[in-house]
Amino acid sequence: MSNQPSVKQSSAHGVNESKQTDEEPNLKGTFASVMILGAFIIVSWISVFILYMYR
Amino acid sequence: MHLHKYEKIWLTFGIGSLLVFLIVLGIGAFYQGTQPPSCLVTIDPQNVQAHESFKEESLGLQKVGENEYVVNVLASAFQYNLGKDDKGSPVRTIRIPKGANVTFQATTTDVVHGFQIAGTNVNMMLEPGYISDFETTLDNPGEYTILCNEYCGIGQHTMSAVLEVYEP
Ligand SMILES: [Cu+2]
Repeated sequence: MSNQPSVKQSSAHGVNESKQTDEEPNLKGTFASVMILGAFIIVSWISVFILYMYR
Repeated sequence: MHLHKYEKIWLTFGIGSLLVFLIVLGIGAFYQGTQPPSCLVTIDPQNVQAHESFKEESLGLQKVGENEYVVNVLASAFQYNLGKDDKGSPVRTIRIPKGANVTFQATTTDVVHGFQIAGTNVNMMLEPGYISDFETTLDNPGEYTILCNEYCGIGQHTMSAVLEVYEP
């Protein structure tokens, strides 16, 4: 009906098309960033808390 | 709903730390009774002398018990009124023995001022119409600067006093 070509037709090399949806995305970098940020927040919070308790 | 293994870890970690912080906050507030320095105790800013603690003769350091002191402070642009010494000149330095229990009570007659004893936890905002108080024990001998850290006008940087904690 439409003049738009379907996705399958438009992709030049349609080799990996169906494979990608089953695979888990690689979140290693995200995981590392989240944990580094979390550690930074906790360390800052604990240092301020210790400063408060000892003053 | 499908969650990635890593997502489960950081969600648990995030919610866990939130719970820890809330529990610490709750213990401080409900068990230890921590409250903000200004907690709804009001005063007429136009007539602070009517209040027992802010009469001319009550200002400054007062010994109220064995090793227990009260410091009444009247802030105005741009000075802290800490009473007068024996010679009748304004007090600029307060001396408190180490380890004594001290309550600072302060208010302002004009605009918002600050009252911070640099290097200690004593740090409060003084608002016209409210009395701020902070109870503490000063364990480290030394000379501390009392200063105003709320912008109150052109002479704000001149607004200071000295607290001396000495070995008894
Ligand atoms: Cu001020």
